[in-house]
Amino acid sequence: MDNENEFTGADILLKALKDQEVDTIFGYPGGAVLPIYDAIFGQNFLKHVLVRQEAGAVHAAEGYARSSGKVGVLLVTSGPGVTNVVTGLTDALMDSIPIVCISGQVPSHLIGTDAFQECDTTGITRPCTKHNYLVKDVSKLSETIHEAFKIASSGRPGPVLIDIPKDVQFAKSKYISKKDISFREHRIKAGSKNVDKNFVQELVNHIKKSERPIFYVGGGCLNSGPQASQELIELVNKTNIPITTTLHGLGCFPGEDKSSLGMLGMHGNYEANLAMNKCDLMINVGARFDDRVTGRLDAFSPDSVKFHIDIDQSSINKNVKVDFHTNTDITMTLKEINSFIESNNIELEKKDYTNWWGQINDWRKKECLHYEQGEEIIKPQHAISRLYDLTTQKDTFITTEVGQHQMWAAQYYKFSKPNRWITSGGLGTMGFGMPAAVGAQMANPDSLVIDIAGEASFLMNIQEIATAVQYKLPIKIFILNNEYMGMVRQWQELLHGSRYSESYVDALPDFKKLAESFNAVGVRAKNISELDDAINEMVSIDRPVIADIWVDKKENCFPMIPSGAAHHEMLLSKYDKENPENQEKGKVLV
Amino acid sequence: MSSTSVYPTPINAFKQSKRSVLSIIVDNEPGILARIVGLFSGRGYNIEALNVTVVDIKNNLSRITIETLGEEKVISQIIAQLEKLVPVHSATNLANLSESYEAEICLVKIEFDNNEQDQKILNFADIYRSRTVQKRQNIVVYEISGTSERINKFLDDLNTIGGIKVELVRSGPIGLGI
Repeated sequence: MDNENEFTGADILLKALKDQEVDTIFGYPGGAVLPIYDAIFGQNFLKHVLVRQEAGAVHAAEGYARSSGKVGVLLVTSGPGVTNVVTGLTDALMDSIPIVCISGQVPSHLIGTDAFQECDTTGITRPCTKHNYLVKDVSKLSETIHEAFKIASSGRPGPVLIDIPKDVQFAKSKYISKKDISFREHRIKAGSKNVDKNFVQELVNHIKKSERPIFYVGGGCLNSGPQASQELIELVNKTNIPITTTLHGLGCFPGEDKSSLGMLGMHGNYEANLAMNKCDLMINVGARFDDRVTGRLDAFSPDSVKFHIDIDQSSINKNVKVDFHTNTDITMTLKEINSFIESNNIELEKKDYTNWWGQINDWRKKECLHYEQGEEIIKPQHAISRLYDLTTQKDTFITTEVGQHQMWAAQYYKFSKPNRWITSGGLGTMGFGMPAAVGAQMANPDSLVIDIAGEASFLMNIQEIATAVQYKLPIKIFILNNEYMGMVRQWQELLHGSRYSESYVDALPDFKKLAESFNAVGVRAKNISELDDAINEMVSIDRPVIADIWVDKKENCFPMIPSGAAHHEMLLSKYDKENPENQEKGKVLV
Repeated sequence: MSSTSVYPTPINAFKQSKRSVLSIIVDNEPGILARIVGLFSGRGYNIEALNVTVVDIKNNLSRITIETLGEEKVISQIIAQLEKLVPVHSATNLANLSESYEAEICLVKIEFDNNEQDQKILNFADIYRSRTVQKRQNIVVYEISGTSERINKFLDDLNTIGGIKVELVRSGPIGLGI
């Protein structure tokens, strides 16, 4: 019966992964994926990274994808194996990260019997994936895998899951290669194929007319590819229009450039938020008017004409109504705008927005990121600033966990290139950063990869140090240790009468010894005089390092738009008092 | 404290919830109904009625019709979200078409005790041109079709008859644009 053109499901999977040019897979074995692990054992194109818990695999795949622009791939077993990745899948869905998750399932004839390690995988992951499949017929496996990769990476990217019952992994069929598959177009959702010329013309007309324009750039620019960033830089230079980016947009435009107002939103720069509030023309490039960005909606940029470029139709007019929109790829659209300006010899240089820039420079004088570094205790902001100064010469990738340290990293670390900044924005997943660093280091073996962490987040996926050690991944974990869940503590201070309910992290491990016990390296800075040495030592060691940086325990993250407040109602320091009416309303928000 | 909105909302932003009938063409594959229903419940939209059947065996397509309530902005967002689902070919708000037709089918079982009731039932059945499916001693089953509104009226009229017992099933509206 054995036909040499027929392969087992497990072999078909491997062939398809090779066809898709996958060279790295993050995973954890178990009963329902043993045939696939057997196939992995007998090949050498695919490097398997054994994580210590499946959550690590999915965040590593996210870090890999974000830092490389490729699809991240992971492999987990049925039941708990796949329920452990639900958080990461949701994270990837919120932040538009292309990943493909392969999960094992109990054999077809046992589905529905409450078999050992059975769960309704497609049911559980349906709302947290862009699409998912249960493959019941091995002859459908090849095209399912190829379609999954196509869907994950097309249009607005996202996670796709393929659930494969164990008997299908053993069953045999022909392999159909990627080039022999014709995708059904309605399933790919790649956005409009042609640039909307009318949109481009309207936009250029409005740029000519406007007095106070601003670019508001989000993660969509990143997902459109590095060329988008180049087109954006060209357009900004051509027009002299100020630009602010969202958390995920950092790096799409050089953070040190004079036109950059930095990040906007809840912990964004004063000048960026004020400029958004007062602008008369807003050009949204791949951002989704997230609540962390808009603040109170009824006071959001009241006087502006709004243009929105987004490949995802559902992001348009969802939270904020816009005047003009286009449902097209950003690179394509920006390119068209640039060439339209060029070919029509539109004189924009004369329009240098002197008054507008004057106004912005006045706001800049507030120095919203100013902090006082004393003689002894390390200010967390200072720790990030020093980290930036001491690593800026290298090609550095930064991942983060979630909380105060994440916002300080976004504020004080400057990015000059896209894909260097990997953080959990939409879902806000604590425990994201370290496994993401593992993934980023796999994709960029010669680069410096640093996870800027808080001690509480770091503890959530601490087991992945072992992964970094096993694969000799010299990731650095830079912990701003304040012994608190800092952002929780900050909100409790601002909104709940300083009642620090359960936000103090007692019984912390000795992170230096912890590093050593994992065969990693631990360094520590207890005060300002030790900071630079600790950073330099951390960077110089070619092994995984945990740097335990003791920072001011009561420092808060400013500037801040409190929940329920508008852009122009920012708090710049602890001395600024919030409007009590907003405070009551903001309390019920997140 | 009353549970009003946390953000003051400009008065004109409040548009009356409107009834809309959405017609969705999908690949007939496992889980597609769950995807659509999950989208509605997950994002807090209403489903007033739902109907689904294969309509094109050759191309393996189903048509799903959903009646929902919401202001126009919400309906547009629902359509955009539906069109993001991989197996969805198209999602259309029938109200946005220049011409569309709607129908619903309803089976009604009526139990009655006396002749007077029987006469009244017969009378309404006649007015609404409902078809008798089955008639026994004191039970009659009618089939009535038309717009949902027409069926509602028929049922309202039946309810004016005292002492009868009514059991019914409705398909929910289906519709087609031209």
